[in-house]
Amino acid sequence: MTSSSTSRRCSAIPALVFAILVLATWTVAAQVTEKPAAAGEPYVYTHWETFYAEEDGLPNDHIFALTADGDRLWVGTEDGLALYEDKTWRSWREKDGLPWRVVSAIAVSEKTGDVWVGLLGGGLARFSGGRFDHFNQFNSGLVNDVVYGVAVLDDTVWVATTAGMSALNTVTGEWEIYTEKNAPMEEIWCYNVDAGDGKVYAAVWGGGILEWDVETRRWNAHRDPDREMEIDLYRDDGLIHIITTSASYVDEVLWASTYFGLSRYDGRHWRGWMDHDSGLASNFINIAKGRSGTSCYSATDYGVAVLSDFATDTWVSYRRETEDAETWTAYIGTGNEERRTVVTDLSLPNHFVIALEFQGDDLWIGTGHGLARGVGKGFFEGLSKAEASPREEEGQ
Amino acid sequence: MKGFVVFAIGMLLATSAGAAEPVYVGAEVCGECHDSLQRDQLAAWYRTPHARAHATLALPEAAEIARISGIEENPFESPICLGCHATASDAEAWQLDPTFHIADGVQCERCHGPGSEYMAAEVMLDPEAAREAGLRKPDRRLCMVCHKVKFSHTSVIEVKPFDYDEAMKKIAHPGFGGEQREAAGRSRPGDDPHVVGVMVCASCHAGESMGYVASKWRLTRHAEAYATLGTEGARSIAAAEGVDGDPRTSRTCLECHSTGDGPSLTRGVQCESCHGPGSDHIEQAAAGNPMASHAVGLGYPTRAECERCHQPGIHGSEFEYQSYLSRVDHSRADMAAARAAAVEYKTPFNLAVSPDGQRLYVACEASDALAVVDTASREVVDEIEVGNLPHGVCLSPDGGRAYVSNRGDDTVTVVDLEELEVVDTIAVGDEPHGVITDATATTLYVANAGSADISVVDLQQRREVKRLSAGRGAWGVSRSPDGASVFVTNNLSHFVPFRTPSRSEVTVVGTESSVIADRVMVPEANLIQGVDVAPGGDFALVTLIRTKNLVPMTRVLQGWVMTNGIGVLWGDGRVDQLLLDEPDNYFADPTDVAITPDGRLAFVSGGGVDQVAVVDIERMRSILENASDDDRRDLLPNHLGVSTEFVERRIEVGRNPRGLAVSPDGRYVYVAEALDDSVAVIDVIQRRKTATIDLGGPEEITLARKGEDIFHSAEVTYGRQFSCHSCHPDGGIDNITYDIEPDGIGVNPVDNRTLRGILDTAPFKWTGKNATISRQCGPRLAVFFTRIDPFTPDQVVALESYIRTIPRNPNRYRVGNELTPAQRRGKALFERSTTNSGEPIPVEGRCSGCHPAPYFTNREMVSVGTASELDTQDVFDIPHLNNIYESAPYLHDGRAETLEEIWTRFNPYDEHGVTNDMTKDQLNDLIEYLKTL
Repeated sequence: MTSSSTSRRCSAIPALVFAILVLATWTVAAQVTEKPAAAGEPYVYTHWETFYAEEDGLPNDHIFALTADGDRLWVGTEDGLALYEDKTWRSWREKDGLPWRVVSAIAVSEKTGDVWVGLLGGGLARFSGGRFDHFNQFNSGLVNDVVYGVAVLDDTVWVATTAGMSALNTVTGEWEIYTEKNAPMEEIWCYNVDAGDGKVYAAVWGGGILEWDVETRRWNAHRDPDREMEIDLYRDDGLIHIITTSASYVDEVLWASTYFGLSRYDGRHWRGWMDHDSGLASNFINIAKGRSGTSCYSATDYGVAVLSDFATDTWVSYRRETEDAETWTAYIGTGNEERRTVVTDLSLPNHFVIALEFQGDDLWIGTGHGLARGVGKGFFEGLSKAEASPREEEGQ
Repeated sequence: MKGFVVFAIGMLLATSAGAAEPVYVGAEVCGECHDSLQRDQLAAWYRTPHARAHATLALPEAAEIARISGIEENPFESPICLGCHATASDAEAWQLDPTFHIADGVQCERCHGPGSEYMAAEVMLDPEAAREAGLRKPDRRLCMVCHKVKFSHTSVIEVKPFDYDEAMKKIAHPGFGGEQREAAGRSRPGDDPHVVGVMVCASCHAGESMGYVASKWRLTRHAEAYATLGTEGARSIAAAEGVDGDPRTSRTCLECHSTGDGPSLTRGVQCESCHGPGSDHIEQAAAGNPMASHAVGLGYPTRAECERCHQPGIHGSEFEYQSYLSRVDHSRADMAAARAAAVEYKTPFNLAVSPDGQRLYVACEASDALAVVDTASREVVDEIEVGNLPHGVCLSPDGGRAYVSNRGDDTVTVVDLEELEVVDTIAVGDEPHGVITDATATTLYVANAGSADISVVDLQQRREVKRLSAGRGAWGVSRSPDGASVFVTNNLSHFVPFRTPSRSEVTVVGTESSVIADRVMVPEANLIQGVDVAPGGDFALVTLIRTKNLVPMTRVLQGWVMTNGIGVLWGDGRVDQLLLDEPDNYFADPTDVAITPDGRLAFVSGGGVDQVAVVDIERMRSILENASDDDRRDLLPNHLGVSTEFVERRIEVGRNPRGLAVSPDGRYVYVAEALDDSVAVIDVIQRRKTATIDLGGPEEITLARKGEDIFHSAEVTYGRQFSCHSCHPDGGIDNITYDIEPDGIGVNPVDNRTLRGILDTAPFKWTGKNATISRQCGPRLAVFFTRIDPFTPDQVVALESYIRTIPRNPNRYRVGNELTPAQRRGKALFERSTTNSGEPIPVEGRCSGCHPAPYFTNREMVSVGTASELDTQDVFDIPHLNNIYESAPYLHDGRAETLEEIWTRFNPYDEHGVTNDMTKDQLNDLIEYLKTL
């Protein structure tokens, strides 16, 4: 797939070039100065730490999944699971008991502390107290071994697979499967899953977002009402596109990424963004993650796009200005109108961003070649508070 | 008739809306058409033992049969008993029409299938249509499910050998054509609208509190009085007395052969013939007001009233009133008295001492009680009834509460120790064993052996708040002195492939946030049960067995079957193992361990040798510290000569010592002597048992109790190396695949099988070579397992008497008869006769074909394509499936770790049932149903 082919290209970078890049990164980092954000401005991650494979302790630098667990960060790679804690990396490969090399999704149970690991082609694993338990389509009720997403809600682990959704009740051991037979799935390729407030959201590739109500045990489907593949015929009439890649539920707001833009749903109103009318540098969003009901981070094939403030439509988009730029630039603007840029010290060579996660004020992004942490020193939500935003002044 | 109309309407609806789910309509509805001279099926059936099958469960013999089968519940509530003594006993409520009565025993639809879809006359007249609608003809296979020899029954009652052909003649009920009963225009006696019929009476007068009156009536000739009229003899008598035609249509005959009129006419002489029309007093009776009932008509028969029908010399028989009265006496003995008369032992398992040392609390598994002992007087001062099969007990740190795990009903009982009363019962996981609170008594941790997890209970809310994954068979618990950790032992090894050493886990829970902090792996060990953390917190001790299943079980004399010892779990993660065995003097079944408060001594109970070992901690530590790393890893865990260096002595105690508790001052160690119904008091200073606390068990030692003692004793093994219990803890499994000599060395590996509830599932062994338990445990056991003199015949009888009573746990996946939607779909798959594409599945390819209820085995041998290159035969015993979820791994050699693998990996050619057309969700449904069996 796209991600792996990109990764393969990146992994072919000669060591010498790599060394030069690293050196340049340090140089640029030294040049970046952190200034307080001006009034009404969004927060910009200017200082970044980067992590690669052997030299930094990651088992592999093709990053597929990131999940924060307090001060710990779990990282899923193409060849192993990694944990970053107290500035130290630990990793587990197949030789260490990891049941399958490709870790595509990670979720931590708040109740038990168990780490649930999605394995692309290998099913699901529970990592608990240093022990891996393996669940696959042969030894368990998991519907398929190609796992893209995992989420835990109360005692149930939800698994998005290429052949539908599976739900494991960890207390009773019962598996349930949801496919086109018993759910409104027009397709069964489930790309991602998120859960919260008694709801489970499944991003179905070609099937929109399916919402499961735990109490009523019913599915509700969110699809693109205009059913157009290349355009959004009626703006904000619903989900922007049916080919969804992720769902993120936070503060009673659903954020949904597609390969054709980003959607937000507050339970009553839909709002959509595409690259031509927003700060999205690309409509091809691998995953979007809501930081709040008014802010969402999109990992695209062309960097990270941040809707910093929904009310003012303020965006910060991180990407390299040119293919050969040494560091990434932050583009700040309203809607698709770029106001200014800030040079950052982020030097990841690949801006095909596949994973992202928040950890406190920090932002982690995983790419086809390396992992980076944006250090959120002085981070603030929305816009800086010294002056009210224009819309707030207008009472909107 | 109403039922017929309802289902006629139902059928019409079904026809218009597609195929309907068949439901059971009951024999009465069948009798609407099948109760005439030409079609005499109803009365013919009513006179057979089939029709009385349900009622016979009220007999004292039923209680005895249930008892020796390990069935603890009332036979009327046991799926096993009802599986052969009733019809549709596993059906859901919606599958039973109101006209269906389970009390009618083995009735028409047991053999012919649920009738709602084929009962209409136009369907029944078309054999093909009837078959299509579900009408089936019973065959030998169906009959033999229940009529194979059951040792439970032949041990208690006289059972004639079952001859299928003869039996079919006895129950034959041919007949076709003729008029229906209504059309015959028979006369009606009384035509009394006040008669409600016996089934209405039985709705209250059926259970134990009512003395099983309805069942007792059904076993009298009164109940068959109407059916008798269908016999040749009755017709002769009738003809001789001037009655033409069918006596069942004769008003004269029916006056004394039935009660009133209506749907229950066919039930003969019923309650209301003696007690007056029920409609007059039913309201008062239902309200529990006998005086008022009498006032409005409830009566008792007088001799004169009886003699109204029982006239002297009538039909050539004399009426002896007292004799007849005794036959219909409602108060005659039934199973309730037999159940109550069973000898009840105490069987103390675990115990706890109060913080002040003045009280001892003992969980008594057999009496479902917590015994309270005054440690000064050493007498029982109270017994508090708790749940079913109490196992573990702990106290809150302040001594105010006791928490008792009940492994038979998956609960923890909370006892107020000031008031000595139960204040709450908390639902936890399956088969709870060890229990312990955190240091602040805000959280309770419960080791659930059955569900292989740990319940975390909020003691403020008194409810389980989460479940943590343990190893397999979570068993014992202990809290670290600093309160930061709880150690949980696991009885079973992780799954390992055949000829791979066991790997067992000790799970460590961090109490700060109640999450798993660590999983300490103990290599080559299993049956890890007891645990205690040293006062210094630098290590924990666990009990363990090292089962040598990598080699054929032929080396008992060399100590190569099982060795027994302790594990030392150090704070730095290191694990040592030391044997408590000595050459030819083993320490079988180490069960619990307790360290004295000063940390100098550890006491270990040896359940199989009736001893407690005293371990000198400093000497133990010295041995380990002076050994090389290689020796600690490879030599010491297997060395039979080391224990004499650190085991001070073995103290003789009573039979089957289990749990241990040390008094707070370290002066005494209390030992639960499970099979003596007592507690031993060991004086720590004297290093000997100085007293016995009698818990008040019965004097009588039953045969089964003797067998229980033999089962748990290693005396039968060379060097006292192991006991039956070593492989079958709690009567279950040890999760291990063995290579046993009688089938040939190096071949025929076999997975260990449970002993719970197996009496009527013969033959035994995967090879089906043992027809009885006594053969399984007889001389062959000595030749191939224990290597000393075989059991005496008396011992074998006693052992069998015990093994067959080992109860099966209540099924955790089925509450009542209602199924979840997934289970319901799974049941349909279990019973299906066609594939997803409509291809017929032969009976032998259906799940239910080989695994019919109630044991879900037809007790045959069959090949399911699982023979490996190590097997010398390809047919294996069809295992029973009751509680199948608790006996993984599966298949004869344990190759399938999960139920799913049986079909996803090991059934490539549909030889183990036709399953390969199933979708993944269907397989999940099937498994959900299997777990309910």
